[in-house]
Amino acid sequence: MRRFSTSRIGAAIVASLFALPACTTQAKDSPYFGKVEAPQGQVLRYISGSEPESLDPHVSTGQPEARIYLALFEGLTDYHPVTGQTIPAIAERWEANADNTEFTFYLRHNAKWSNGDAITARDFVWSVRRGLSPALASRSAYLAYYIQGAKEYNEGKARAEDVGVVAVDDYTVRIRLATPVPYLATLVSHQMFKLVPRKAIEAHGDAWTEPQNIVTCGPFKVKVRRPYDRLIVVRDPNYWDAAAVKLDEITFYPVEDQMTQMNLYKAGEVDAVYNHTVPYAWVDEMRHLKDYMDKPENAIEYYMLNTKKAPTNDIRVRRAFNMAIDKNALAVYRRVVKPLTAFTPEGIFPGYPQPTGDAFDPPRAKQLLADAGYRDAAGTYDPSKFPVSEMEISYNTTEANRQTAEFVQAQWKQNLQLTVPIKNIEWKTFLDSRAKLQYKGAARAGWVGDYMDPYTFLDLFSTEFGDNGTGWSPPEFVAMLREANTAHDPAKRYALLARAEAFLLAAQPVIPLYTAATDWLKKPYVKGMYANPLTLHPWKFVYIEHDRSKWDLDDPPASTN
Amino acid sequence: MTAPVAVEPEVVGTSLWKDAWRRLRRNRLAMFGLVVVIVITLASVIGPPIIHGLTGFTYDYIPSDSSLIKSFPPFTAPDGSFSWIHPMGTDIAGRDILARVLLGGRISLMVGVISTLVSLIIGITFGATAGYLGGKIDEVMMRIVDVLYAIPYMMIVIVLLAFFGGQSPLGQLFLLFAALGAVSWLTMARIVRGQVISLKNQEFILAARATGVSATKIIFRHLVPNTLGPVIVYATLTIPSVMLLESFLSFLGLGVQAPLASWGSLSADGVLNIALFPWQLICPGVTMAITLFSLNFLGDGLRDALDPQMRKG
Amino acid sequence: MLRFILRRLLITIPMVLVVVSVTWGLIRLAPGNFYTGEKPIPPAIEKNIRERYGLDKPWYVQYGRMISNTLHGDFGISLKYQGEPVNRILKNALPVSATIGVLAYLLALAVGIVSGTLAALRQNSNLDYTSMAAAMIGISLPNFVLGPTLVLFLSLTWYVLPPALWGGPRHLILPVITLSGVYMAYIARLARSGMLEVLRSNYIRTARAKGLAERHVLIRHALRGGLLPVVSFSGPALAFLLTGTVVVEKIFALPGLGNYFINANLNRDEPLIIGIVAFISIVVLIFNLMVDIAYGFIDPRVRY
Repeated sequence: MRRFSTSRIGAAIVASLFALPACTTQAKDSPYFGKVEAPQGQVLRYISGSEPESLDPHVSTGQPEARIYLALFEGLTDYHPVTGQTIPAIAERWEANADNTEFTFYLRHNAKWSNGDAITARDFVWSVRRGLSPALASRSAYLAYYIQGAKEYNEGKARAEDVGVVAVDDYTVRIRLATPVPYLATLVSHQMFKLVPRKAIEAHGDAWTEPQNIVTCGPFKVKVRRPYDRLIVVRDPNYWDAAAVKLDEITFYPVEDQMTQMNLYKAGEVDAVYNHTVPYAWVDEMRHLKDYMDKPENAIEYYMLNTKKAPTNDIRVRRAFNMAIDKNALAVYRRVVKPLTAFTPEGIFPGYPQPTGDAFDPPRAKQLLADAGYRDAAGTYDPSKFPVSEMEISYNTTEANRQTAEFVQAQWKQNLQLTVPIKNIEWKTFLDSRAKLQYKGAARAGWVGDYMDPYTFLDLFSTEFGDNGTGWSPPEFVAMLREANTAHDPAKRYALLARAEAFLLAAQPVIPLYTAATDWLKKPYVKGMYANPLTLHPWKFVYIEHDRSKWDLDDPPASTN
Repeated sequence: MTAPVAVEPEVVGTSLWKDAWRRLRRNRLAMFGLVVVIVITLASVIGPPIIHGLTGFTYDYIPSDSSLIKSFPPFTAPDGSFSWIHPMGTDIAGRDILARVLLGGRISLMVGVISTLVSLIIGITFGATAGYLGGKIDEVMMRIVDVLYAIPYMMIVIVLLAFFGGQSPLGQLFLLFAALGAVSWLTMARIVRGQVISLKNQEFILAARATGVSATKIIFRHLVPNTLGPVIVYATLTIPSVMLLESFLSFLGLGVQAPLASWGSLSADGVLNIALFPWQLICPGVTMAITLFSLNFLGDGLRDALDPQMRKG
Repeated sequence: MLRFILRRLLITIPMVLVVVSVTWGLIRLAPGNFYTGEKPIPPAIEKNIRERYGLDKPWYVQYGRMISNTLHGDFGISLKYQGEPVNRILKNALPVSATIGVLAYLLALAVGIVSGTLAALRQNSNLDYTSMAAAMIGISLPNFVLGPTLVLFLSLTWYVLPPALWGGPRHLILPVITLSGVYMAYIARLARSGMLEVLRSNYIRTARAKGLAERHVLIRHALRGGLLPVVSFSGPALAFLLTGTVVVEKIFALPGLGNYFINANLNRDEPLIIGIVAFISIVVLIFNLMVDIAYGFIDPRVRY
């Protein structure tokens, strides 16, 4: 910096800015990040991500909304606060028939709406029909397509009464499925299957989510809603398990900017934040703090390859580009992730025999490219023959995506001597070019599982939903998935799914990159809030511990009756 | 900052510029600014290959040894001892910040100067014409400016990219200049018009008109030179704002593509890590600030040197 | 003068229609829809969505509905924030942006004009250099750097001010300072150069020659002409400040118009974009009109 000292003013700025590190060192002595002062009473302040699209669980599909719906609405089942697996909610128990095509759910008798009305099996039937109705045009409706008659009703080809969900009696629901769905119990935890109030919706139409109209069925109910500012929910005494609910109030702040989230957290203005909020550049410094919540996620990050356009329409090229990325180094670089060679997240589904894809192997990658015709007269790999201008790494603009793309580009440059241009694109434009297969080479993709089953990932490549962004979707693969789902024995089903996944990896329409990690923060006085693979927290387990001596103890295991 | 030269110098005559240069040379602060700008420009152009030759680092080189992929403070070797290898430290990917700052200089200087020139040319021509002609024509021209103010700039950029996005890097750069120039001339036009309106009824213009000088000549020979003071000042204000706008546009996918960087994008990245790795903000930020300071001193000097009132006196 | 104002007010309506029409066209041309997401949705669901929001109708029907909405001043329901009327969003978000914007501009005007004028009066003095150097720091320190730096010291080190969120007066301080920084610097520089220009002009020389008190010369004569550049800068600047500034609203998580507007663009939320754009264009037109009127008052040489 010496050459700047000619300018006195410049020197002054330099001096004052270099004084910054001094004020951060004191934080390093503390085992916590920033201010630690528990709020008065049982009140939680949480940053939930983007502004919720709606308080109507059938309408919005996103994660920020899902976190809020967990406070306001319940479905038949819910997520376990530690593992993310299925726990009972409005349904006390359930059973499936031999081939997983018919499920019976037994509802608890004491469940009530926030206005005191009883929740019955008919409420669930009405909710599912409403979610599927063409007039509502729910984007998540496809999740219910497995139910008999559901797809036809949603497409306007059948009546609501034809949907295979029936109330056997006041507290028994039977769901008949069009195809076997062994994971139905976990699927119905999704917001698409949450119960919504028939009376309020019929009375107020789209305005039913206004604070003065809304009727909810979760542990909390709406108190204040100020869009882009905050949503305050309070404990609902009518909730069936109200005695177990520990918090009196939760405030959800819709804050999108990463730095602002961290600032609010550090200043003690909020008590916890959602996942992927800690900048990965900080992770080395944060990991030793007690605030840091780290766990593998039910989510993967990968690059799609355009299998319809040269040069990536050649499988040898696709495999070569996959083998030329050192995924272990990528994981080190990204700090918060685990390397991934397969298409399902690693270590999330107990008992799933996950296949492994090709390992990092630059010499073989070069050989494959030489085999594909990019070689000189002597037959060895020649990078100048490769049409590198026909390749690109395109991604939607975020800091993390850019850093991954820069890393992959450096890897290909160092291992294949190819400089593939990077291109960042605004989100909707990016989605459009990806869906229409207009991109060249590779496009960034990521998927967060809708439910706790490998099928939520493999399903991305079934033909059901039109184009998947790669142009690869052979009927054999779809048939393999179907076959797996007909298997009643979970182990056999997992084996069949793993076979399908191996088939997918062999064709390499994607380059798997990593299994994401939760990467979020909570203050030590927030208890009962665990790092789970979904980062969805059933709020009734959460509480504020005012006894300082218990802050550093591990959270007690959640009892989920 | 040779911006005003672009406005038909041959009409203005050579003696003005010779005069101006003489005056400028006497202004120490302005000459200091000129020297710094030249030094930083030169460093940006020839610096990156020199660094590559000396240390092996380039703006996009990520070390293959993953223990080196981390932020090192300035003048620090991986083992913590003093070293010249990274005078500005490294970023989170272990890339040399000096190399990136110098590369960013190329881009930011180009963006700043070219876009400001574009905005000067359009803004002066448009504003002076509207102000001088007045009446219906002025009315229509200024309402066009108003409409352009109100149309959402973001949508324009998104659509521009959708139609011309699949460009070569050079094409992308042109698109960037077009997009930056397109916004920054609006205020310039309003400022020039305001000046021209207040000048056009003064004696020297009336005299010129009475002797039958053509409108074009009056505008560019008599009116524009008299508005140069505020225009140069506004132009020196435009340079930083386009440099910063560029880093916003890269968010929409316009602008330089990673791993290339500009001072704006380097500062924006550095801001996030301000508490942990302050050099990642300070190094690009201070380099940019020094450049803008110097450009500004130069601009002030130019303003004084070109001031017609001073020439008379 | 009155006829001039009336004519300009009348012309506002067709101009707003031009602005919303162009914007509407741009939204159509932009790739993607409000409902496109990471996972492609089945065609049947897409059809349902298009029917529900009237996107299946021919373009002229949709265009007509948009124009009619605009003329009635009721922009319909947001596509992204389902059930939220655009008018209610505007009503809630505007006071936030306007409060911050107006306060920031007043602060910028006060500091900018005083320091710019003083600098011009003492040209090439230490005062001149110091205030212009301070102004340059203001300009070269973008608000995305200034804001976080202030937060780092005041909110995260000394814990004296909240780092973000919308609340009482204490929440206003940091955003207002952050926002006014650049404008302060602009105004100081514009005021200085405008004053320098005027102070050398003949009529000031005349006024001085007549033996008028320096203070009188300055306030009655010089300031009027010298602030013209500041006035023409103020119209669009204030219009932009009133209608929200994305960066500051993001850094401080404020529920203002700027935040809504940038997300509406990224989400292709047509009714919300149109509503905000119509509002912005009215504000821009009115402020520019006020600037033009102010010209007439400040500078008697200006004629219409």
